[in-house]
Amino acid sequence: MRLKYVVVAAVLAALPPPALAECKVDGSGEVNVLSNFFETLELLANTMKECERDGLVVDAKLTTEHRSETEKSFAAGSSPYDTAAVANSSITLLQARGQLRPLNDLVDKYRGTYDIEDQMLIRFGDDIMAIAFMVNAQHFYYRKDVFEEHGIAVPKTYDELLAAAKTLKEAGIEHPYGAAFGNSWELANEYVNLLLANGGQLFDPATSEPAFESPEAVEALEVMGELFQYMSPNSMSLDFGGVKRQLQQGDVVMAIQWGDQAPTMDNADESTVVGKIGYAPAPAMREGGPPSSTFWWDGYVIPKNLDGDPDVTFQVFMHALSAETVEKNNDTTLWIRSNYKPTRYTAAITETVMAGAPPYPMNPQSSLAHSSLGENISDFITGKESAAQSLADAAKAYRAAAREQGLLAN
Amino acid sequence: MKRKSFLLFVAPSVVSMLLLIAMPLVGVVYLALHQSYVKTELVELTTEVPLFGGLKRQVTRVVPQPVLDEDGRAVTVWKFVGGDNIVNAAEIEGLDEILSGAREVTSLRSFIAELHREITNVDFWSALEFTLLYTFGTTPFVLLIGLALALGVNRASERLRGTMVFVSILPMIVTPVVSSLAIYWLFLDGAVIASLIEALGFGRFYFLADQLTIRTIIIAYGIWWAAPFAFIILYAGLQTVPRDPLEAAMIDGASAWQRLRYVIIPHLMPLIAVITVIHVMDAYRVFEPILVFGASVFANSVQYLTYYTLSYEDNANKAAAYSILTVVGVVLLLIPVLVHTYRDQQGKR
Repeated sequence: MRLKYVVVAAVLAALPPPALAECKVDGSGEVNVLSNFFETLELLANTMKECERDGLVVDAKLTTEHRSETEKSFAAGSSPYDTAAVANSSITLLQARGQLRPLNDLVDKYRGTYDIEDQMLIRFGDDIMAIAFMVNAQHFYYRKDVFEEHGIAVPKTYDELLAAAKTLKEAGIEHPYGAAFGNSWELANEYVNLLLANGGQLFDPATSEPAFESPEAVEALEVMGELFQYMSPNSMSLDFGGVKRQLQQGDVVMAIQWGDQAPTMDNADESTVVGKIGYAPAPAMREGGPPSSTFWWDGYVIPKNLDGDPDVTFQVFMHALSAETVEKNNDTTLWIRSNYKPTRYTAAITETVMAGAPPYPMNPQSSLAHSSLGENISDFITGKESAAQSLADAAKAYRAAAREQGLLAN
Repeated sequence: MKRKSFLLFVAPSVVSMLLLIAMPLVGVVYLALHQSYVKTELVELTTEVPLFGGLKRQVTRVVPQPVLDEDGRAVTVWKFVGGDNIVNAAEIEGLDEILSGAREVTSLRSFIAELHREITNVDFWSALEFTLLYTFGTTPFVLLIGLALALGVNRASERLRGTMVFVSILPMIVTPVVSSLAIYWLFLDGAVIASLIEALGFGRFYFLADQLTIRTIIIAYGIWWAAPFAFIILYAGLQTVPRDPLEAAMIDGASAWQRLRYVIIPHLMPLIAVITVIHVMDAYRVFEPILVFGASVFANSVQYLTYYTLSYEDNANKAAAYSILTVVGVVLLLIPVLVHTYRDQQGKR
């Protein structure tokens, strides 16, 4: 996988840059960009580099270690990076530590120049802290041919999904369902989806006490237990990559998976089910309720301690986030800009979000709750203890961690 | 040797040991004795999150905001907490609750089973359980297989030896994450081993579905990975076995087994001690297969907890406490071997 990206990156680097709109940046200096490593971010980094000219250097570092590097440089006396791409999970800590520079002045100054749309602005209160450009969400993947053969309609709720799984199992498909239950973090992520969709919450906002011992929380976990009956027994070791492979190899008939993986189902080099996969919003926990999924955005932030010029930095990344970039690369991802045209692969993400999937909760309490759930709920799913007991264990672990971080009084 | 020239000779190693071994250790202890976080207060904030097609959604929530000082910088709390981090990391509280909890005792066996179940439900103790199982489960086999390989290669003809040595140490050359992944991929649904078993008519078998098989695979992997290390050292040792006692033993009518048992193994004993020490240290820090198999409910390790605390709880201080527990664990395990070696050395003087 990694090697493939490297090869692609090398080929892209060797090609002459496509003639895009001229980059007009006032000012000079050096702009250093730090971000994660995937196709969209690579495209944006290359677009930013178009701004290079005499007196203006643009340098981008794309690394899977972006999170720890961002945290370290934003906490240092002076950050070597003038901007970083963050997601709603990683902005939390940076914001809570007061390390982000509000962008209100720059947005006001350049709103017209770059046609900055309101939905791109991530606000904390009155402060604009990030400029977002893409969203992603998990949703439902299913085999159109198998559903048709067995006369199954696309499930809208988990009750319907479980009924469909039962039908398929009785028809001889032993493990019809797939979801990422391995790797503590991904397991807890599946649970958070179900919990929030069931009207539960991770913690009480007024006190930071854990709130996942409620009846809604127990019910959500029990659904996971039922789903596990229809999954490969090896699932406690499968992450999102594993679920993607299960779908591509035809091992499962339906699964929950990240939206941006949809095009890979039709990649004949790795998939045996080209053209057979359909996409639908994530099922709801309650009739008419929101889909059990959270949505994620990616955006650029500027730290308070940057060593460059925030004004120049802002212009450079806004050049990359222009409407023209979206127009020319419509199918790369689900862009936030209004000129983006949904495709067959992204429609289900759009529908999931429009149906009310909440953003993934952005705060330190949620990260701690997430990590303590990940370490404990597997005890229930593998049948070692009751749902209530494993949630109680998680709550205990959460309290200990929250006390250490000063979020709960002793 | 004059004291001055002695000091000059050892100075480079003393300095590098201080810099590379003592300083990081002191740093970890210092971290573990403190706790740090950015001071926050809960504030009700309205966040606007983007949708698409010109839509956005307002979310009002109580979120923690940093408390700022006069210069507008976030206030970071850095306080001395003494042993708190270590006590929390080792989950002494949880252990205490279990040990002091009242329970009905029907039989000793059920009492022990219940106690074991409750203790291994606590993350740290469950991780410690598997770490110890892995350490004690791999060590004897690493030594045995290493010795068997060394004896085998030693008997092979000169022409074959080079190739055999190379093939035998291959598992050690491959990066542990890569070899763990390779093993993991062997056992997935529809992967080589599962399909082979199914094709042979034994039905479907799920290796990653329960504690016993996952633990067995990880321990077998540990043996496969570490045996070459024992092999290469013992093979070198075999080259130094003196001929005279061996020939004398043969004249006295000693069988091959007796020669191995009474001449060769005693000669290799110091090497076996060294291999044990190094392997125990390595095994106690088992990490890569735990990460790759991703089923920490079935097999967890102390080193994995350090990583998890650091990357998901963002708590470097508590992670440092886990590191200290790892060092303490290794030292405790090594005490018998070290005492034995020390006595041996004393005896030789």
